[in-house]
Parts: sequence; C-alpha cells; structure tokens
Amino acid sequence: MSPLLEVSDLTVEVQRQRRVFRAVDGVSLCLPDGGSLGIVGESGSGKSMTLRAVMGLLPRAARVRGGTVRVAGELVTARGERSSADRRRHRLAMIFQDPLAALDPVMTVGAQVAEAPRRVGGLSARAARERALGLLRLVGIPDPARRYASYPHELSGGLRQRVMIAVALSADPAVLLCDEPTTALDVTIQAQILALLQDLRDAQGLGLVFVTHDLAVVGQICDQIAVMYAGRIVETGPAAAVLGAPRHPYTAALLASAIDVDSARQVPQAIPGAVPDPFRPPPGCPFQPRCPIAQPDCAAGPVPLRDIAPGRSAACLHHDMLADGPAPAGPGHG
Amino acid sequence: MADPRLEATDLMVSFPLPGGRALRAVDGVTFRVGAGQILGLVGESGCGKTTAARCMAGLLTPQSGAVRLDGVELGARRSTAQRRAIQMIFQDPYSSLNPRLTVRRMLRELLAVHQLVPRAAMEERCQELMSLVGLPAAALGGLPGQFSGGQRQRIAIARALATEPRVLIADEPVSSLDVSVQATILRLFADLRDRLGLTMIIISHNLAVVRQLSDQVAVMYLGRVVEEGAAGELFGSVRHPYARALLAAAPRLRQRGVARPDLLGEPPSPVDLPSGCRFHPRCPQAADICLTEDPLPRPTRSGSTHIVACHFGADPG
Amino acid sequence: MTAGPAAGVPLTDDDQAPIGSRASFGARAVRTPAFVAGVSVTGVIVLLALLAPVIGRYSPVQQNLLATLQGPSAAHWLGTDEFGRDIWSRLLYGGRTDLQVGVLAVLFPFCFGSLLGTLCGYLGGSLDAIVMRVVDVVLAFPFYVLIIALVFFVGEGTHGIFIAFALTDWVVYTRTTRGAALVATSQDWVAAAEGGGLSRRRVLLRHVLPNTISQAIVYAMSDIVLVILAVVTLGYLGLGIQPPAPDWGAMISDGQAFITVHPWLSIIPGIAIIVTGVGLSLIGDGLADLQRPQ
Repeated sequence: MSPLLEVSDLTVEVQRQRRVFRAVDGVSLCLPDGGSLGIVGESGSGKSMTLRAVMGLLPRAARVRGGTVRVAGELVTARGERSSADRRRHRLAMIFQDPLAALDPVMTVGAQVAEAPRRVGGLSARAARERALGLLRLVGIPDPARRYASYPHELSGGLRQRVMIAVALSADPAVLLCDEPTTALDVTIQAQILALLQDLRDAQGLGLVFVTHDLAVVGQICDQIAVMYAGRIVETGPAAAVLGAPRHPYTAALLASAIDVDSARQVPQAIPGAVPDPFRPPPGCPFQPRCPIAQPDCAAGPVPLRDIAPGRSAACLHHDMLADGPAPAGPGHG
Repeated sequence: MADPRLEATDLMVSFPLPGGRALRAVDGVTFRVGAGQILGLVGESGCGKTTAARCMAGLLTPQSGAVRLDGVELGARRSTAQRRAIQMIFQDPYSSLNPRLTVRRMLRELLAVHQLVPRAAMEERCQELMSLVGLPAAALGGLPGQFSGGQRQRIAIARALATEPRVLIADEPVSSLDVSVQATILRLFADLRDRLGLTMIIISHNLAVVRQLSDQVAVMYLGRVVEEGAAGELFGSVRHPYARALLAAAPRLRQRGVARPDLLGEPPSPVDLPSGCRFHPRCPQAADICLTEDPLPRPTRSGSTHIVACHFGADPG
Repeated sequence: MTAGPAAGVPLTDDDQAPIGSRASFGARAVRTPAFVAGVSVTGVIVLLALLAPVIGRYSPVQQNLLATLQGPSAAHWLGTDEFGRDIWSRLLYGGRTDLQVGVLAVLFPFCFGSLLGTLCGYLGGSLDAIVMRVVDVVLAFPFYVLIIALVFFVGEGTHGIFIAFALTDWVVYTRTTRGAALVATSQDWVAAAEGGGLSRRRVLLRHVLPNTISQAIVYAMSDIVLVILAVVTLGYLGLGIQPPAPDWGAMISDGQAFITVHPWLSIIPGIAIIVTGVGLSLIGDGLADLQRPQ
C-alpha cells in the first residue's frame, strides 16, 4: 500500500540579495498511512521550507528546483505555488506557529472554520455552522456556541491554536502538516495541544508531519523522526531508536546539548562552531567542520543518506563509531 | 538564611485599566536570594514573573512592598550605586542591544559613567569582559547586527557584568536561542556564579533550565508564588498541584507518548480572578474550602524552607 | 570583584560562530543607485551655484537695455531678459540664493523639531500631550496660507521667510521623531541603558536621538525642496526675495508677461527647480534605502 505522503529528492532554491542558495537539498521523506513523522532541526536547517514546499506555500523568493511530492500515490505539482483547491484535493492541511498571524483578524472564528465546508463542500449556511460547531467541540474549545462569534484576538494563545487546528480539519485532510505549532505556547498548553493532536490521530487516523526544534516534543508525538541539517536529512528512523541511539554525530550532539527536567546538575555540551553559510557550503558532509569524529574522507565528496539498518538511515560515513553509545564529544551528561 | 543578598517583600504591582479596574500583575510576592545563590523563578505567561523581575531591577515601581539589597531598602528612585548593583539581561537578544553602538562604545560608556576604571585601562577591561563571556576581543569593534542570537546574548551579559553588579537578573535568557546554543549560555551562568560569586535570578518558563541552574526555585501563578524551596527538595517532592502539572507537562527525551498533566482548561484572565484559591477552577483536587479561602503560604513541615500555598500542600499532622 | 581568566583565553570553546561583516557606510552608499544619482545631480547644481562668481559672465543685476530679450548667443549663453540681464548669470546666482535659503530655512525646524519630538517620545507624559496638541493646531492650517500670512505679517525678504518656516515647519520633524522615539523607547536596550545607571539625559541624547534622527534627515532632504518651492511661490507672489536680487521664482514671475513670445524666460528657471527637486529627492530616497536594516 502506498505511503500517505512521499517526498522524493526535493530541492528548493531561495534567492537572497541576488544570490541563490539551496534551502532544501535532495530531501526524501515517507509518511505511512496514519503515521506521524517528526522533522527536527535548528534554525536554518530547512525544515520549515520543506513543509511549505509540500504544501505549496513557498515564499516568493523560493522555487522548487527538483524532486516530487506524492499524496496517496498521486503526484502533486511541486512547482512553487498551488491553489487552495489543489491542496484540498490532495487532502493536505497545515497549521503554523503563530495563530494570530495565520487567522484572519476580521473574521469571526466560527466563520473561518465554516468557510471551507460552505464554499467548497457546498453545505448550506446552517449545515456549515453545525459542522463548524462540531469541529470547535472536537478540538476542545469550551462553550463553542459562544466562541463561534469571537474574533481571534479575543482568544488566548491555546484557544487560537485549537481554532487553527479546527480550520485545518474543516478541509477534511488526510495529512496535517504542523510547523512548530507549540513552540510559542506555554508548556501546559503545549501538552494540551499535543494531546489533542494525538487524540485526532487515534480517532481519525490523521497523518501528521510535525516540524520542531524540540527533540523531546517530537519524541512524544512522532513514530518516526528525520533530523535535518543545512538543508539535508542526516538521519531517519523510529523515534525511540534515533533519540536513544543516534547514528549521526549531529543528532548525537543535539541530544548532548539538550537539558532534561528530570536530572539536576547536567553538563550540556554545546556544539562548537556555527551552521554553515548557505552560500558557501563546506565540501563533502555539511557537518564535518563541527564534527567531533570527522575524518579526512568526510570532506572528500558528497555523503549520501544510506540505509544502515531496517528502517534506519544516516548520512554519515562513520556512523558505526556511534553504535556503542554517545558521541565521544567530551564528558557525557547524566 | 543570614541577611539575604536580594529580598522582595510583599511586592504588589498593578496596572490601571480603562473602566477603573486594575490588573494586578504581581500580587504580594515575597522571596529571598542568598549571596552567591541562584533563584529560579518559574511560571507561564501572565504569572507576573517578568513584572516582578523588572521591579527588582528597578525598571518598574511597585505600588506597595519593598525590594531590599543586602538589607537596605531600595526606594522608587535609586542611586547610581544601587542601579549598578542589580543588572538585568533581557529575553530578546535582537532588541536588547542598541543597534547603533559598537560593543566597545557601549562598554566604555558604562565604565566611564561609573568611573570603574581609568581611561588607560579601559581597553584591557573591555577585553577581559569579552573573554569572561567567551567572545574574541575582535568582537569589540562590531555592531549588534553582525552577531548571532547567542553571541548577542553574551554581549548583553558582558554589558551587565561591566558595572560589576552584585545581582544579575536574567529574564528568559535562552528562550530565543537554538537548543545547541542554549547550553553555552547556561554553562556561562553557572560559571559566573562559581567564579565571580554572583547572585542571580533566572526567570524561565522552562523547568529544565531552572533545574539546571537554580539553588532555590519559586513557582508563580497569576501574580503569586505558589511554591518555593530548595531546588532538590522542590523537584523531589512537588506539593502544589500547579507545580506538579508544570513538571508533568515538561517534555522529556525519554518519554514516548504525550504527557497529559492533571490540569483543566485555560488560565483565567488576570483581571477576573477566581475566588478563594486562584488555581481552583483548574485544580484536579479542588475541594469546597478552595473556593472560599485563599490559602496562605505555609512550610510543608515545621521548620522547612519548602513553602507551598495550598490547603493540601503541607504534610498532614 | 576581579575578572576571571586572562584576556584572550576563551571561557568556553563553544559557539565560535563567525561574526558577520559590515560594509562601511561609504561602501554601501556607492552601491545605492538612488543615492549616487541624487548626490551627482545635486552635486552638480551646488557646484555651479558655488562657482557662480567664476562662471557667471556678468553681474546678475547688470542691465543692458540695448540687448533685451535676446536668444542664446555667444555673448549670452541663455539669452537675456527684458532688462538685458544675462539669464545664465541670473540662473546661477538665483540658484545660490534659493539653495542657501532652502538649507538655512530648514536648519532650525530640523534641529528644534527633531529634538522636541525625541523628547516627547522618550518622556511622554504631559510634555508629550501639550506638544502634540500644538502640533495638531499648526497642522490644521493649510501650509501655504500660513506661510504667506506670516511673511506678510513679518515682512518680505529672506528674513521673513526664515521666521515663517521656523514657526511652521518644525511640526513634521516632531511628529516623525516622536514616532521613532516611541519605538526605540519600547525596546529593551533603552531599559538596559537606564538600568545601567546612565542618566536620562545621556540616554536621550546619546542613545535615543541617534536612532531617531535618521528619519528626520531623510525628510529634511525633501523639506529643502519644499522650502525652495515655497520661496519660489512667494517670489512669484512678490513676497519672496526682493528684486533686483535674482531668484528663480521671481524669474518665472517676470517671464510670465512674455510667455507667448519668449517662453524660455520662465521655462529655464522652471527646469532648474525641477532638476534640483529631483536631485534632493533622490538623495532622500537613497538615504532611506541606506538606513534600512540589512
């Protein structure tokens, strides 16, 4: 059975100040039916751009230069912008980090949730309103009848995020693309939103692609993880495996730099150096200038993403050096 | 503890609203930080932690209550020496540095105004400050726009250190930074505490950050401190239901499956506070007494410094 | 409290991110087309005005009633006017006068208005409220009506012009810098400067003002154009620079009587005004482009 969402060799170029760089470089992803995939990376890794390319919401300065996107086997035009009709047809919906920016400030919340069922689904005004109320209830908004007439700015951050999820669900998507949806939320509200997404997955079999920089969050809600660095995928695999036994030095370094609330007095290791200048990518592996186990052959030529075990892949020539535990990057934490 | 380095007593800050009402951002907050200790102030948005911190730093005047430095009360207008002694580091590294001043000019101005160092020695002192925060001396000639978020935050720390303060208050110092950079800044704070004996207040909504650094922790909700105590004891035995929910909701690397903290609904508007205990509408164990009586902070056992404001927070008996 | 390790020894060896580079103002300026064009055009005009005594071949007021209303010739490059005065010389000296008056008339409003606006934005309170009401009152009057009335009241000539502009032109600077000051003051770095023990006066003058003045400078460029136009208009109405001193506005006005037979009498100074206006506007645009954060 074909995967729900399949991205093959996607490349996106961005123009900045008359120069062009690759924000996404040969990215391939696979989301099985009902699965949840987390894309993890820091700023500049290309994770958001990847999601926007799939959704067809690239900024004007960006262009898809290669690769394909398929939803349920059907090829989706991956050329820059697509109409919202296309997106609905392909059953993709997206939620964003800042609901205040993503919701129309002059339309009531209810009207926004009812819009797709009415305009596209062809429902009558009353039926659309019923459906909207149902969706508001589904996403856990208290007193939906009263909230229907509220404007986005009248709601708290958590409620706004729920409204945005309701709007996304109103298009009856098969896949929900999430671009850092909980990053700006308080931690207890974040937990509630993650719980909501999990419940929607359980109830409707909704596929989820979740982009975030927070390793712990992605570990909670995603079955599979893909780690991105400098526009490329450097590691993929099941969440537990990638987080527990990383096979790429960048993943290992990210884990070593994270702090956990359960242990006191850790010594997190920061990653030396900085993300490479996108206009001047280093030769060979993009991480090699900062990598603690870099060897001469790492800079020699491109390092492709290769399967290293069933269901796991890593873009590292020396991933087996990590097979025995945390990267030898200094004192570990505990 | 003996005379704490920094102490807030019954701080109350309210902001007037149209229609005659007032928003009490900070409503009777008391805490103490001992010399050379780090206090972690934790809470979510709207709890008043930033407002309380700005009060301590002298950027806001409280309506009532007192802030004391080494036992001396700081009035509404602080002397230059008093302002020097407490320095603040802000959350957003992109708006906390004057975009038109080079790092060198910014530091030199502070050194000159407070007459900390003779002119001839200024350049050397600037370089010392740079090395204290782990930046190269070449950074002195740069404008803020040339630096990354983590570097800017370190420049902001160097600026705070320039006046040789006794207390450093850091408001969400790492929230805007990438995860791999956060580690550097946190280690820097720990190092400054160990090496320079600085007293610090770290404000964060991230419990992991607070646990990393703090000797003492205070949890705030809707303008009040609901639980405080030594870090080890508080994290080991959380008493207040809100603090417990906060701890349960914190994402953990080893956790699979979503955390479902025992917490109902949304935080109420701080203008329309619930009766009795402020937390009762969301509390999983709210009882009748919680609706009518506002719990006072009490030690969990007699003689303990672990304080909790909950009718059921203390040990029975 | 003494510092820790010796200078140059990094405390942590992490995060050695490279520091971005910054092109100097000059380097960026030459890459900004509007700025370069504006400076070139205006520069030529200013140069010509400065060199008027040298390249103007006659005195601008010297009449030659035997050679009135002549077309361009070897003796008179742009011809002569109805009194036989050399148009080329009058153009150059007129430019001198108009540019001088334009710059000087803007100087006081620029300095006073910017400082006042920054003060209002930074301090707020009753000062802000009072000043803004005054600004509202001044802005309620149509600009030209006010200028003409003031010049009429105070007296014609450059001295009247200076006073009229001093009293009316400062308001836009105040509004602009007040807005910029409000933005700056809301940023943390102002709180940090005050918290660092710097006096409010110091913070205002050394920190906030440099950040607000840039917008005022951009506006000042177009303001000079406005002033020149106003001087020209006043001159046209007979309220400006008094004859026989040359002034582009007076030249246009004088040439009006001959517009059907000798149109160049009015057209030539008109073109000069347009070119000067465009040049100054381009400088303003260029500066605005340069100020924008990269």
